[in-house]
Amino acid sequence: MRSAHLLCAALSWPLLAAHVLAAPAPLPAEHISIEPLPPRSPHWVYVYDEVFDYEIDCRVYLYDGDHYRRLGQISGGFYTSVNLSPDGTTTAVAATYFARGSHGTRTDVVEFTDNKTLAVTHEIILPSKRALTGPSIFNLAYSEDAHFLYAAYMTPAASFGVLDPAAGKVLGEIDTAGCVLVIPSGRYRVSSLCESGRLLTVTLDAQGRETARAMSEPFFDADKDPLFVQGIPTKNGYLFLTFLGEVRDIDFSAAQPVFAPAWSLVDPAEKGHWRPGAYQVGAIHKELGRLYVPMHEGGEGTHKDGGTEIWVYDLASHRRLARWPLKVQGLSRVVAVQVSQDPAPILFAATETGDLAMFDALNGRPRHIQKQAAASPWMLLNP
Amino acid sequence: MRTLDQLFERSTRSLAQRTSRRSLLASLGQLLTGAALLPLLPVDRASRAHAAEGKPRPDSPDSCEYWKYCAIDGFLCSCCGGTSTSCPPGTAASPISWVGTCHNSSDGRDYIVSYNDCCGKSTCATCDCTRNEREKPVYRPSRNNDLNWCMANADVNYHCTVSVILAVAEK
Repeated sequence: MRSAHLLCAALSWPLLAAHVLAAPAPLPAEHISIEPLPPRSPHWVYVYDEVFDYEIDCRVYLYDGDHYRRLGQISGGFYTSVNLSPDGTTTAVAATYFARGSHGTRTDVVEFTDNKTLAVTHEIILPSKRALTGPSIFNLAYSEDAHFLYAAYMTPAASFGVLDPAAGKVLGEIDTAGCVLVIPSGRYRVSSLCESGRLLTVTLDAQGRETARAMSEPFFDADKDPLFVQGIPTKNGYLFLTFLGEVRDIDFSAAQPVFAPAWSLVDPAEKGHWRPGAYQVGAIHKELGRLYVPMHEGGEGTHKDGGTEIWVYDLASHRRLARWPLKVQGLSRVVAVQVSQDPAPILFAATETGDLAMFDALNGRPRHIQKQAAASPWMLLNP
Repeated sequence: MRTLDQLFERSTRSLAQRTSRRSLLASLGQLLTGAALLPLLPVDRASRAHAAEGKPRPDSPDSCEYWKYCAIDGFLCSCCGGTSTSCPPGTAASPISWVGTCHNSSDGRDYIVSYNDCCGKSTCATCDCTRNEREKPVYRPSRNNDLNWCMANADVNYHCTVSVILAVAEK
């Protein structure tokens, strides 16, 4: 028996030796590193996540619309406001922090992130009166030359702070007589929306001091057909939508805003039945002159319900070019939209269940759906 | 509101002291036996349907469909340790608020309802309820439910929202 075992071992030894010789080399030791960001792409999108269930931990995700992956994160605090610098190189995040998380000394702060590294470069401490409200590009906004950053305040008395982002300091505060938010234009004008349906425009000097203010004529009726505060940038200013689907295109390039004649997203038969609704109610491709709006069927009180379809318009002719149903793509209601500004544009659409969908913005063909991209993706920004 | 709470609390405690658990079960048993002989009404089926889905009935303050919540946006304090009119223990009510006008179908009246935030703990994260009847954007703050109304409370953040009847709305 023993001789049989010895014979077996003798025969198997060359096989074992051959196996050892053929085994792959062990893995090399690894070294931890920081992943660099790839070069900036027009198909990047910054996804603002309100994290509604845990609002003290709002954040912004940077997402690559070509490679369908998250590139990194910018952290925020409670009820964060976010915007990009005009050249897209910096993200400004205004947040509120309490020393003990849910309570304790309140600190309002703007943090600046270098979009090449996603590292925070510096900050400005604000007075504790930042407007703690829903997402809008008019909560925190740069002047067109990035010389100033404006921060909307509400206590609920309304005003705004004028900040110097380069020097890292607050320059002053401008009272807005009950009108709210900061709509920037030119050097250096800030307009605010008033309950009376007017725009207040305050002009500043190069030191951030008020030199003039003027009130426009009413251009919407807050009782009959309120205006969404989520304006959409155009070539010369901003376009606003009303709850019933009227379009107010405002040219902000002159000293005072100029209002184009109103037009409607819906025909008379659709009016009151189909309407825009979302936390970010539209996106515009400036060169193509196309407007994308999440639309749904619903009545009064459904203005935050999100779109079951994306409707596409030509801004020059006001003609509806397409209706893109979303349910057939397996998507829930769309609560935020954004479009890249390049010649091969992507339409980004974030849903109420946290998915981020990407479409070819020229024809509506689906490209990708990133499931569970965020908890509460209520605003999308482009570089 | 506090007086009403105290009155209700006293009567409940008094009932509990006067009644043993066994006698309560016996009474309930008699009541249920009688109830089984009654014809089933549509309302009964509706309540069972909600119970089967594990959802509170629409006439319950734990339901987002409850009439007083017509312009609320936040977490229902009734799910967070409070009630529809009281903040959970250890929080503080916001002194400022937004209002809604809600129709109570059981008495046919419209009421002005004040939505006050309860502040001082992190978000309750239960019973999220967003309804926006006659809700307006932030340029009309008194009707806006996006604002954090804990803003006037020093150094505390948002936890949940209560809905308090202020008055019958005048037509």
